[in-house]
Amino acid sequence: MKAVSLKGTKNGYELVLDEAASFTDSIAELTDLLAKLDHDYPTKRMHLDIITGNRLLNDAQRDEIHRLFANYKHLLINGISSNVITIAEAKRIRESENVHVIYQTIRNGQEFTVTGDVLFLGTIHEGGKLVTSGNIYVLGSVHGVIQAGAPNSEDKFIVGDLHTAQQIRIGEQFDIVADKQIKGSFQNVAYVNNLHILDYGKIGELKQINPKFYNRIGGVQ
Amino acid sequence: MGRAIVVTSGKGGVGKTTTTANLGVSLALMGKKVCLMDLDIGLRNLDVILGLDNRIIYDIVDVASGEAKLRQALVKDKRFDSLYVLPAAQTTNKDSLTPEQVKTIVDELQQEFDYVFIDCPAGIEQGFLNAIAGADGAIVVTTPEISAVRDADRVIGLLEQHPLDDQPKLVINRIRKNMMDNGDTMDIDEITQHLGIELLGIVVDDDAVIRTSNHGEPIVMDPDNQASQGYRNIARRINGETVPLMQIDDTKESKQSFWSKLGNLFSKKD
Repeated sequence: MKAVSLKGTKNGYELVLDEAASFTDSIAELTDLLAKLDHDYPTKRMHLDIITGNRLLNDAQRDEIHRLFANYKHLLINGISSNVITIAEAKRIRESENVHVIYQTIRNGQEFTVTGDVLFLGTIHEGGKLVTSGNIYVLGSVHGVIQAGAPNSEDKFIVGDLHTAQQIRIGEQFDIVADKQIKGSFQNVAYVNNLHILDYGKIGELKQINPKFYNRIGGVQ
Repeated sequence: MGRAIVVTSGKGGVGKTTTTANLGVSLALMGKKVCLMDLDIGLRNLDVILGLDNRIIYDIVDVASGEAKLRQALVKDKRFDSLYVLPAAQTTNKDSLTPEQVKTIVDELQQEFDYVFIDCPAGIEQGFLNAIAGADGAIVVTTPEISAVRDADRVIGLLEQHPLDDQPKLVINRIRKNMMDNGDTMDIDEITQHLGIELLGIVVDDDAVIRTSNHGEPIVMDPDNQASQGYRNIARRINGETVPLMQIDDTKESKQSFWSKLGNLFSKKD
């Protein structure tokens, strides 16, 4: 079994680093392989996808591969991909896609920050702040500041009764609720429209408001 | 081993010091050994309300720095043998104490007293952190004013971040029945429900509270006064008794109906 094998696919070339081989062996073979390629096809421009299988390269190892390729102008790395991810990365992904159920009182002066979507069952008091990068579905009561899509994603929205809130913020847009006529209904959706202004609609209009999200949750077209 | 209870509010002027003094005296009346600690360093007035300001020799900063023994600094009340005050310092500021020093002093006082009340300064800075350092429980004082309720909310949030052994309890002070009835202020249920902590008691607003404080005689010395009864009820609840929430009697309020004024007019002629 060779530590490094070059394959042609319909999309270009794949350079497969065997996950069972030691990295030193892989680098040694890769050095030879690149030298041979350079010798055989000195002018041919080749884009290579490097595939590491069930092995995750660390930054130093990636740098080493990049340094090898830097010697040859016509041999280029398309990308380095792997079948596996670190636990930290997996947690981050799960965190950002999870719907967090929050049942607590956010009091005056407290700021509660979350990554991902939030199902909010608690209470935000005047002066309290709930901030998330995702969407917010409100079943509790909001008397403070509520922010979806922090810091700047305007494709997020907030569903629920928001007429008692102090401020509604989505991405970089905000509304002072006292200055607006917002009806008290759990069917309300606050979103950013294509003029980059906060707008309000009903859950029934979700398809028009946010078609991407509508499709993701399996709404019928 | 006694209980240490911090009396706090966030906002100033809602009656923390008055509450501390009156609860201390109420419990002393019930025969408990009580120590009142003034942590409002630089602005001490717990001793003034109790009429003990002329008896201060040492203060809490002297104790913390080791210049005086705790026993030397404690001021005995002129009315009760079981009530003591540990006065605040006047000459320094709130940063001259650390939470550890306060905790050491509170622990020492708890050995000797049934109750140690800690009068917290207004605000949520170092003085607040010092005051809650040694406490087992907290009394959050608020008034029916929206600003006081907001600050109480903030303080409860901070107490949740620095949890004490017991959940904080609420005292609503300076209640004006006619304003509450007219809907000009939040009512007792609204405040309690909003803040989401247990209600320990209510105290009505009464000119006599200020009048008596000005003479260094806490209001609880007068058993017939409504505010005094409010404080006494709170003290009994702290001591573990079950006392129903008092009904506020509004006959003494200035706002009277036409018919009752007319009635008064005739009754005066008799």
